Amino acid sequence: MQSLRSAVLRQIRVPVGPSCRFLSAAAQLDKAEVIDRILSVVKSFPKADPSKVTPSSHFQSDLGLDSLDNVEIVMAIEEEFALEIPDAEADKLDSCSAAIDYIAAHPMAK
Amino acid sequence: MTAASPSAAEVKALFRAFLREARKFPDYNIREYVKRRSRQGFHQNQNIVPELATAAFAEGRELLEVAKRQAVVYSLYAPKVKNIMELKHVEKQ
Repeated sequence: MQSLRSAVLRQIRVPVGPSCRFLSAAAQLDKAEVIDRILSVVKSFPKADPSKVTPSSHFQSDLGLDSLDNVEIVMAIEEEFALEIPDAEADKLDSCSAAIDYIAAHPMAK
Repeated sequence: MTAASPSAAEVKALFRAFLREARKFPDYNIREYVKRRSRQGFHQNQNIVPELATAAFAEGRELLEVAKRQAVVYSLYAPKVKNIMELKHVEKQ
């Protein structure tokens, strides 16, 4: 039995290719790209004036939006980067810079 | 006042729940309607007096349950082809 087992095991080869080694790769996005995409999301928001949108602008005090618009922008950012932001985090994203920092540090953002 | 009026965080969470629910509708027209209607409802009641806020919040919660049920129903009758508006959106990306 033991010899049969070793004979079989000698024949079987489990391929260990690079295809299963991607799991630990850091997949964070490039900061410049994040800034670009977040600004375009904010600019395409109907109530925001595109000329006023800069990486440092605050949604409510600089762009004249209210807290409901803020929720909508965070949802739009979620859709852009294909992730789900929990409520506690979403409430903190009240400016372009906060959103950029959050997305740039997020491992799942695409 | 019998019941405490809802806090800003609770209202935002409800609004977010509506927008999340809206995403689940497979039909473009219904999906956009639910989004539009949620926005409209919340913006309409934005400056509501505290006495009426509790009732409006309760109504919103009931409507969220309706939206959840309808999302399930509409998912059973998903359109076989995409709406032309969605096709354009895909092309843009």
